[in-house]
Amino acid sequence: MQLKAPEHQVAGHIAKDGKPGPLVDDKGRFFKPLQGDSRGEIEVKFYESFSSNTEVPEHIRRYFPVYHGTQAVEGSDKAAMIVLENLLADYSKPSVMDVKMGTRTWYPEASEEYIQKCLRKDTGTTTVSAGFRISGFEVYDHKESSFWKPERKLLRRLDVDGARLTLRKFVSSNSFSDIGSKPDSAFASSVYSGSHGILTQLLELKTWFESQTLYHFNSCSILMVYENESILKGNDGDDARPKVKLVDFAHVLDGNGVIDHNFLGGLCSFINFIRDILQSPDESAES
Amino acid sequence: MLKVPEHQVAGHIASDGKLGPLVDDQGRFFKPLQGDSRGEHEAKFYESFTSNKKVPDHIHRYFPVYHGTQLVEASDGSGKLPHLVLDDVVSGYSNPSVMDVKIGSRTWYPDVSEEYFKKCIKKDRQTTTVSLGFRVSGFKIFDHQESSFWRAEKKLVLGYNADGARLALRKFVSSNSPADSNLTPNCAFASEVYGGSNGILAQLLELKDWFEIQTLYHFNSCSILMIYENESILMKEGDDAPAARAQVKLVDFAHVLDGNGVIDHNFLGGLCSFIKFIKDILQSVDKRDETNTSLLENGR
Repeated sequence: MQLKAPEHQVAGHIAKDGKPGPLVDDKGRFFKPLQGDSRGEIEVKFYESFSSNTEVPEHIRRYFPVYHGTQAVEGSDKAAMIVLENLLADYSKPSVMDVKMGTRTWYPEASEEYIQKCLRKDTGTTTVSAGFRISGFEVYDHKESSFWKPERKLLRRLDVDGARLTLRKFVSSNSFSDIGSKPDSAFASSVYSGSHGILTQLLELKTWFESQTLYHFNSCSILMVYENESILKGNDGDDARPKVKLVDFAHVLDGNGVIDHNFLGGLCSFINFIRDILQSPDESAES
Repeated sequence: MLKVPEHQVAGHIASDGKLGPLVDDQGRFFKPLQGDSRGEHEAKFYESFTSNKKVPDHIHRYFPVYHGTQLVEASDGSGKLPHLVLDDVVSGYSNPSVMDVKIGSRTWYPDVSEEYFKKCIKKDRQTTTVSLGFRVSGFKIFDHQESSFWRAEKKLVLGYNADGARLALRKFVSSNSPADSNLTPNCAFASEVYGGSNGILAQLLELKDWFEIQTLYHFNSCSILMIYENESILMKEGDDAPAARAQVKLVDFAHVLDGNGVIDHNFLGGLCSFIKFIKDILQSVDKRDETNTSLLENGR
């Protein structure tokens, strides 16, 4: 089995300084190293619970990566890894964005140190102001035939207008070389709207979050993926295949009869941002 | 003339020479402008809101009607002070049961002072604000057996956990003695007050729809007031229009800020959580009624 580093990680951990990072194989599987200090265990517990939870409606499962258990992997000190579906396996030139959802990333059960760390990050980003923050993204630049990825540091300093602009950039064809040019939002309708678009999927998730009290998805991200290449080629029947997935479950807790109002509030705000772009694709944010 | 309102369940109370709101006999409520600019801020909100054409007509009913400001003799004897003049939301009720629920998983907001932030977050974490997205600030129920009001003890209310909040919401619509803490609340009025096409739930859902799109205001630290007439449910005969006259009002706008193109996700999340709590109570009452009906039908 050939394992290699995934090409399209936009957020989260990468292989660095001898620490293992995620890997992919050629069979559509994604191997995620178990994070230290019980976070890895929590994530495994979540996937195990979720996979067999009969209270999760079938149409909601599509928003979660398929879980294939854990496995010890050669070459990473036989460290245990979570085996998941590789969400990007079916895409040739995927544009990907990771959005951390929620007005806060901390939760009452966490340690005081962790809470303070999260609070600092939340107040310094759009988490507090907008209910979500963009953790990372990568867009395929067909002119350059390469991927364009902004510096993570820059993303962390985005304000509300910056977040809006970034969401437009994500679906534009002209964002990259011209820093001064307005994003053209050329793919906004192919990606964000339509009966299979991002907005429709987000609205389906929203309905579930209004009543589900099974899990609190603290610090989880929504991943948006789409195939950039096929829109440009304009092939009939080839669409952008926009996809929404929830990822990163190292801090998920039991819902205990209460809805995940933190995630839901942020999700509703995010939905509003997407709607705004669809309603006015030609306007960019005022700088 | 002006007197202390009878039905305050939260916030400042004019008593023993303290500064608090007053009411007249024309259905008006006089709220003293609070110091450190909060009072002015609230007045500014009311002025903006009252004339804001972007607020849909059907949403205005959830807000107290504003009548400007007026110099009024303050309740603490400190002379004439500016007061906000509002419609008294409980005038027209003879013995209203009232509950104040502060909505939102945080009561602080960006750019507040470090001191205020610390004070807020401490309270948010100690109460159900962080865990549930709302906290019960206070409530009182008209106890028809005693012909008097029963008021929940402030300290107890602030110490509620999720179960406590749930219990309070059930108690609020029950007819058995609120004073007896061993009694399970019977939720006798749940369907009349929470349910129905004009009940609390229907009103909350209408508000929720607006909050999903409105980017005009961020209602930091605002409360939802739930009011209903306890007595008339018990006294009414036949199936007329709901005698409960359940009402939802948003109150306390000292910390409202401009929305700046972003929805009030903090309030909305808490509102959705609160709605779920109400829905759960209605469902459990429906189930219980179904069970009782089938027991009756089976000759028990």
